[in-house]
Amino acid sequence: MKLKNLLLTASTISFALFFVFAGCQNDDNAIVKRNWQLVWEDDFNGNTGQSPDAARWIYDIGVGPGNDGWGNSELQYYTDAPENVSLDGAGNLAITARSESFGGRSFTSSRIKTKGLFQQAYGRFEARMKMPWGPGIWPAFWMLGSNIDEVQWPQCGEIDIMEYRGQQPNLVYGTLHGPGYSGGASITKGYGFENDRFDKDFHLFAVEWGEGYIDFFVDETLYQRLTPKDVPGEWVYDQPFYMILNVAVGGNYVGFPTPQTPFPQTMLVDYVKVYKEAN
Amino acid sequence: MKNRSQKSIAFTLLVFVTLFTVVSCKRDLDDLEPATFPTTAEVFIDGFSAGLNYGAFGGSKVTAFDVDTEEKYKGSASMKFAVPDAGDPQGAYAGGAYFTSTARDLSGYDALTFWAKASKAATIDVIGFGNDFGESKYLTVLNGVAVNTNWQKFIIPIPDPSKLTQERGMFFYSEGPEDGLGYTFWIDEVTFEKLGTIAHPRAAILLGQDQVIGAETGQQLPIGGLTATFNLPTGVDQTVSAAPSYFTFTSSDPSVASVSSLGVVTMVDAGTATITAKLGDQDAAGSLTVTSTGQAMGPQGPAPTPTASPDSVISMFCNAYNNVPIDTWNTGWQFSTAELMEIQIAGDDVKRYRNLNFVGIEFASQTINASAMTHFHLDIWTPDATALPAAFKVLLVDFGANGVFDGGDDSSHELSFTSPLLQTGQWVSIDVPLSNFTGLTNRAHLAQLVLSGDLPNVYVDNVYFYKSGGGTTTGPTVAAPTPTRNPADVISIFSDNYTNVAGTDFNPNWGQATAVSQVPVAGNNTLLYSGLNYQGTQLGSNLDASSMTHLHLDVWTNNSSALSVFLISPGPIEAPSVLTVPTSGWASVDIPLSSFSPVDLANIIQFKFDGNGDIYLDNIYFYKSSGGGTAPTTAAPTPSFNSANVISVFSDAYTNVAGSDLNPNWGQATVVTQEPVAGNNTLVYTGLNYQGLQLGSNQNVSGMTTLHLDFWTANSTALKVFLISPGPIETPYTLTVPTSGWSSVDIPLTAFAPVDLTNIIQFKFEGDGKIYLDNILFHN
Repeated sequence: MKLKNLLLTASTISFALFFVFAGCQNDDNAIVKRNWQLVWEDDFNGNTGQSPDAARWIYDIGVGPGNDGWGNSELQYYTDAPENVSLDGAGNLAITARSESFGGRSFTSSRIKTKGLFQQAYGRFEARMKMPWGPGIWPAFWMLGSNIDEVQWPQCGEIDIMEYRGQQPNLVYGTLHGPGYSGGASITKGYGFENDRFDKDFHLFAVEWGEGYIDFFVDETLYQRLTPKDVPGEWVYDQPFYMILNVAVGGNYVGFPTPQTPFPQTMLVDYVKVYKEAN
Repeated sequence: MKNRSQKSIAFTLLVFVTLFTVVSCKRDLDDLEPATFPTTAEVFIDGFSAGLNYGAFGGSKVTAFDVDTEEKYKGSASMKFAVPDAGDPQGAYAGGAYFTSTARDLSGYDALTFWAKASKAATIDVIGFGNDFGESKYLTVLNGVAVNTNWQKFIIPIPDPSKLTQERGMFFYSEGPEDGLGYTFWIDEVTFEKLGTIAHPRAAILLGQDQVIGAETGQQLPIGGLTATFNLPTGVDQTVSAAPSYFTFTSSDPSVASVSSLGVVTMVDAGTATITAKLGDQDAAGSLTVTSTGQAMGPQGPAPTPTASPDSVISMFCNAYNNVPIDTWNTGWQFSTAELMEIQIAGDDVKRYRNLNFVGIEFASQTINASAMTHFHLDIWTPDATALPAAFKVLLVDFGANGVFDGGDDSSHELSFTSPLLQTGQWVSIDVPLSNFTGLTNRAHLAQLVLSGDLPNVYVDNVYFYKSGGGTTTGPTVAAPTPTRNPADVISIFSDNYTNVAGTDFNPNWGQATAVSQVPVAGNNTLLYSGLNYQGTQLGSNLDASSMTHLHLDVWTNNSSALSVFLISPGPIEAPSVLTVPTSGWASVDIPLSSFSPVDLANIIQFKFDGNGDIYLDNIYFYKSSGGGTAPTTAAPTPSFNSANVISVFSDAYTNVAGSDLNPNWGQATVVTQEPVAGNNTLVYTGLNYQGLQLGSNQNVSGMTTLHLDFWTANSTALKVFLISPGPIETPYTLTVPTSGWSSVDIPLTAFAPVDLTNIIQFKFEGDGKIYLDNILFHN
């Protein structure tokens, strides 16, 4: 417990040091104009209650292989039920965290991934999303190295395109976890609104990833560029990754939900698109 | 700054004046700019902002507020609030409002924010804005603000900023002692802000409930529970109470219910309407659906005036009696929706309850000792449907010897009343023996009466306890006469002198109000019906009384005005016999069983008494009058026919037909005598088989209509009278025997057809027993 607390504290400090507010762009992070070609997308058009396209997404079910809340002491039980994950009929995917007892847990939610269906090294990965809110709500759009089953985490690498804490609805984070810099020691940066929140409207979250760099964007604003020299360990981002969308409840990163946390809470995803740079 | 803002007011006024002027001239107004107000956000940073005033609330400690330069969140000063201890003579609480003389335009902000800390963890009752010591049109209140010894930032979202274009109420607070103790809290950096991080506005009326209620024309219903909820930058929801002016109210049918801009619903006419509201563009959760039946339905006349003697009454509410003090006729207990109105109907005070689900009526400060009382009475009137299963319930609560609620000695009981006692649109008297409240083990410290049930509209009057047979009524002081019948001739139901039919239930539940008890009277067990309406007796087994001749009972009452006794055989077949009440002392009544026709005397299952008052009964039995009998002790009633219309055969009251032979020798066994009974000459047939009477002359009675005779017999089981004309032509008429005292019969002469009424020559009697006869005459 103590170690974890320490790690959390360390990461909090790093957020304080590094997150930037819109309008305070760093001139060093100039956007390089690239020629992106769409190679994969899901616009989540379909009927209300329809499950996400099985040709694109599979489910993580339950409480994690270690029975430990997916390694994070998360409190939810992930299901494939339409009540937790389905199309909203208005062109969005809805992942909904609910306060209900299921599978020995007090909450249900959902986590879907493209593992085995689509993975790619390099390119632009983006999702247009509207966040849920409330203390203890932890939605994410992220990627894991496709070789995770062979080399395990964190050797496989993890690119968190967007993470968000419901008790800080004006902040999102972009993070890399790799060998020697995972968990509380991950390389991360926050992006915040001074007068707005990520749960009031849709925003576009993206990484542009190439050989030797990963750029993190919110609404086309580049707020973090990470390169091999920024990580204190091996750069493991020259191999295919698959995408994950989920809404966790509780866990080490976000803390417990409180009696004031309104449920249910839904993350809406307008679309997910993946591009490759045209030569 | 100050000069400038005054200028802007002057300018504003000028614009208005111009505006009104030009309207009448129909000039183009487009060039005129709307009046603007300063948009100053700061309320208190390190001191009062421009134009800010402070006023303490009435009853508060006016010195509670001060500016503190020692303790502050930021800058050079904060606002300090010294909450007084309970009982502080200078004021019971800290409270006041900060307002500006010049209105501000706050429409560009979305919240009032401030920092606060306190000398101890505490919950400040209310903090808000919009209190301008006037209309306070946009009052916004954060209730229960939890503070502690650390500085914390608080955010009060503005429910709808677009409304606050001319706001003067910048900040207010109110806080009393916590657990009786005062403390200090500080507030700093009070300012309006455009945070942008307040999200997910939600509004509610009636706290989000969909209420459905009934109302009547003219009734006004203010809609409360107006709230606005926002998600704060911490992801937590914050709910504030918002004044009605923030909302736009709509009625689905304004012809039924109109709603004002302040959310006051006025019932216009019969029908149903639903009131909803919006806060800005947001539909507010909650609604009020109100159904009006039109004008209030109420009783046209007063409740029946009670007749119980004032000496034997403890009255809670009745114009006829002196009432004991009642703390309240509507305790306003939680979840009670009852409204109480004091009204008058034809000068009679009546309590009217509306929206009655339940209502507490409390008299705990001076409890009622109803130990000596026997009954509880109240009259109710309802316009509501009373068909089953609708019920009206009466709960009586006794606080026990300690005289206070709880303490382990309380007792209570609730009775439920339904149709047919309950009636719609008429006064109904609920009059119940206190003994029916079986769970009410004590009634010396009655403290609560609770009315409830399915009738939302109830008018209540004449609520009192009484002692039945009370007042001047004390009951008989002597026992009923001891019966002398031979037990062999008796089937007894209730008597100490005979063996009674086994297993009889003297108080079967037939829904009666009567209280049944058995009381000793001069050592003799006596059956008492208190507050009779009706009362049954279920015999232990079916009873064959066909060999009996009479029903005997002894009855005593000094307050009954009607009393009948019924015998009942299966069917049910029942027949009454009317008893003379009130009695003068004990009345011994012997009723010929023939008078209960068509009841099957071989199969009597039940008795019933019907009437009113308090009835003492004893010696209820059937008997067979044995031979020999006894003689009448009173004279036959003196007839009162006009002698001009009478042809008399045997009577002291008239001139009789001359020369009649009262004992012609027709071979009969009957012994004929004439005996004085109470000084009145009477014809007596002893050991009757048959007996003739030869008139002194043929009588033409065709001008008469009726044969009258008085007869008395204790032991006859059959008796007929014949008229005879030459031929002979004779026709019998059956008389009911035995008699209960003198029986007077008037027999239409048509009953004797085909006897020639112009030429009556003889009478004949047939039957048995000993017969006393008098006043045998024809009359017209």
